[in-house]
Amino acid sequence: MWKEIGNREMGKIRPNSFSSQVKSNRISNLQLSNNKDIVSPHRGSINSLQVDLTEGRYLLSGASDASAAVYDIQRPTNYEGNGLIAKHKCLFSVDKQHEKGHKYAISSAIWYPVDTGLFVTGSYDHYVKVWDTNTTQVVMNFKMPGKVYRTAMSPLATSHMLIAAGTEDVQVRLCDIASGAFAHTLSGHRDGVMTVEWSTSSEWVLITGGCDGAIRFWDIRRAGCFLVLDQSQSQLGRRPPILARSAANKVNVSKSLSAGQNSLGKPRAPQKKVANGHGMKQSTIGRMPTKGSARQRLHPGMLSIQDRATAHYGAVTGLKVTDDGMYLLSAGSDSRIKLWDLESGYNTLVNYEMVRLQTSKAIQLAISQDSAQVFVPCMTVVKAFDIWSGKMSLTFLGHYESVNCCWFGSQDQELYTGGNDRQILVWSPCQPITDDMDAGHSKDQDNWSD
Amino acid sequence: MDKGKKRRREDEEIEAIVDTEANHSLSLDQNLSFSDTLVALRMMRAQFPQIDKAAIQPFILQSQLYSSVKDRTQVDRELESLRRDKVVRIFKLNTGQDDHGIMFLDDYLKQVEHVVKRMEEKKQGDLEVFKWFKVHVIESKLEPSIGHQELYALLSPGGRVKDEHVSLLINAGLLTRQLIDPNMYWFAIPNIGSILKGLSQGRKELLSLLNRRRYKEMMLAPLEKKRLRFSPLDMRFHLRDLIGSGHIKTAHTPTGIVVRVSKD
Repeated sequence: MWKEIGNREMGKIRPNSFSSQVKSNRISNLQLSNNKDIVSPHRGSINSLQVDLTEGRYLLSGASDASAAVYDIQRPTNYEGNGLIAKHKCLFSVDKQHEKGHKYAISSAIWYPVDTGLFVTGSYDHYVKVWDTNTTQVVMNFKMPGKVYRTAMSPLATSHMLIAAGTEDVQVRLCDIASGAFAHTLSGHRDGVMTVEWSTSSEWVLITGGCDGAIRFWDIRRAGCFLVLDQSQSQLGRRPPILARSAANKVNVSKSLSAGQNSLGKPRAPQKKVANGHGMKQSTIGRMPTKGSARQRLHPGMLSIQDRATAHYGAVTGLKVTDDGMYLLSAGSDSRIKLWDLESGYNTLVNYEMVRLQTSKAIQLAISQDSAQVFVPCMTVVKAFDIWSGKMSLTFLGHYESVNCCWFGSQDQELYTGGNDRQILVWSPCQPITDDMDAGHSKDQDNWSD
Repeated sequence: MDKGKKRRREDEEIEAIVDTEANHSLSLDQNLSFSDTLVALRMMRAQFPQIDKAAIQPFILQSQLYSSVKDRTQVDRELESLRRDKVVRIFKLNTGQDDHGIMFLDDYLKQVEHVVKRMEEKKQGDLEVFKWFKVHVIESKLEPSIGHQELYALLSPGGRVKDEHVSLLINAGLLTRQLIDPNMYWFAIPNIGSILKGLSQGRKELLSLLNRRRYKEMMLAPLEKKRLRFSPLDMRFHLRDLIGSGHIKTAHTPTGIVVRVSKD
C-alpha cells in the first residue's frame, strides 16, 4: 500500500488508476459488515433499495407492507457493542397508517435524481406517489391502469421531469411531475412491463423489459421504439476496432444481400433490425401478408409492434445499464443474465453461471462503478460476477430468504441488499478490528496501572 | 479458406483420437473436461448411446458442453461461430426452461432424410415441400426459430406454398408451433419425442437416486455403472447434463471423484 502511494507521489501511477486500484481491492474483499448495521422497521419483504445519486448519503427502501423508509448510511443513529457497531435506524418511514400512504406493497421507491427533497414510490395499489421528504407528505398522485412494477427517473435529465412507470398493462406510461399529468404512453410490448431503466448516455432514451421477454428501447421524443434486442443477434465479445470492421463490412455487404444471416459476426448497417421505421426494410414489412386478417396501415414509427424478437425465453426481470452507457445487463426468468452491447444492439454471449433466478418478482442488479463486477441476487445469495468473463468472484451468503434487490454504494464501496426476510444487510470491505481491540486492551492496562 | 484447412487438419486428428478412444468406453472421470468445444462435441457424439427402438442420430445437450469445457463464455462463443459456419445446428428442446440440443448438420440432414423416406412410404400428400425446406430454409435460416412470414418467404422459391405444406412439415416433426406466439415456429429434431421423455425421466431418476442417500452424494465410479430404468440414454449422458446445469457437482477426493447434489 505504501509503495503504491509512493508511486502515485512520484507520478509513476496516475491518480485515477491509483484510486481505481484501491477501490477494486476493496471490492474484492467485500463481506458482511462487522461494524455497520441497518435496522429496518419494515414488516414485509424489501422490494427496492436505492442510495441517492447526489450525495450518496441516504438509502431509500420500499417494502411489501406498503412502507418506505429512509436511512442515513453515513452517520449512525447510535452505537452499540462498546462503540464498535454503528446502528443506522430509519430517519422516518411512511406506511399504511399515513393518510395518503399506499395500501398494498410498494414495488419500487426511487429518489428524485436532482436532490433528495422528493422521492417517488410505485405500488401494487395502482398508484405512483411523489412524496416531499422533509414534510413526508404526498405531493402528487398518479393512477395507473394496473399494478406498478417499476418506476424510474432519468439521472441525466435536464429538460424533463418524467417518471417512467412499468405496470402489468402493456403500455409504459410517462408521468410528468411538472404538470401533474401523463405525458404520453409507449406501446409495443405484448405483456406487462416488469422493468424500466433510463439510459445513462441520453436523457431521452428509455429501456423497458417486459413479461413477453422483449427489451425495447424508446426515444421518448418519437413514437414507437427504435430498437428491440434479439437474443439470436450476437457478436463474439467486444466490438472489433473500427479499421477491422470497415474492411469486414465491405466483404459482407456484397455477400449477404440474400435473405439470411451473415456468416461473420461483425456488426453491419444495412439489413439489421426490423424495428427501424425507415430504410429499406419498411417496404418489405408492409408487403408481407399477415396471416388471415387484412393488412393494417401502421404509422411508420409503430412498425416496431410487429417485431417479435425476444431477448430472453421468459420474462425480463431485471435491467441495468453500465455507467458509461455502453452496455446493458438483463436478467430473465429463464435464469440467464445477458450482456448487450448498446451501440450495436447485439448479445455479447458472455455466460454468467446461474442455476436459478427468482422468477415471480423483479430483481435489482447492481454494477460496481468501474463496470468490472456485477452483483446479482440469486435466490438467497448474492453473487458477484466479473462482467467480461462471466466468472463468479464472490458469494454473499447472509439472507435467510430470497434476496430481491441490491445496490452498490460507490462512495464507500459498500453493497446493500434487501430480501424477503425483511432485512437490509450491508456488505463492506473487511476492516480488521484486532487493532482496536489491542489498543483498547493497552488503554485499559494503562488505566489500571496508575 | 484458412479456417477450412485448419478444420480439415483438426478433423483428421480428432478422427484419429475418436477412433482409438471410442472403442474402449472410457469412464467419465477420465474425460470429464475437454479443451475445446469442437473436440468436446465430437467426443460426445462418439459416445452417444446406441438406442435400438428409435433411430436417432447423436445429439448433444448444451448443458453437457458446459460441464466439459471450463469457460462457459468460450463455449457460447465457439458454439456461435460453429453455428454460423454451418457445422452444427442448435435446437431448443421442450424439456425445460433453457435446454438446447446441438446436432451436427450432417446428422440432422440424415435424420430429415430418414423421416422423408418414411413419409414417402406412407404416401402422404406431396412431398416436394421437404426438398424446398432442405434447400432453402435449412441453408439460410440458422436460428432455432422462424416466423410464419419468413417461412413462407423462404419456401416460395420452390413453388406455391400452401398451408397444407406447413402442416406436413409439422406432422413430420421438423417444425413445432411456439406456445406463446402462434406465428412463430421452433425447428425440431424429428422422431425425438420418446428420447426427450426419457431425458426428463432419467434426470428425475438420477436426482432422486442421489437425494435418497443419507448424505446426498455418491462416488462417481459405482454411480456410472448403474443403469437407469426410465431412460434409454446412458448414465454418462445424464451426469454430464446435470453437472452442466448445476443440479449436481463433483468434487475430488483422495479416493476418487464424488458426485453431490448441490443445494442452492
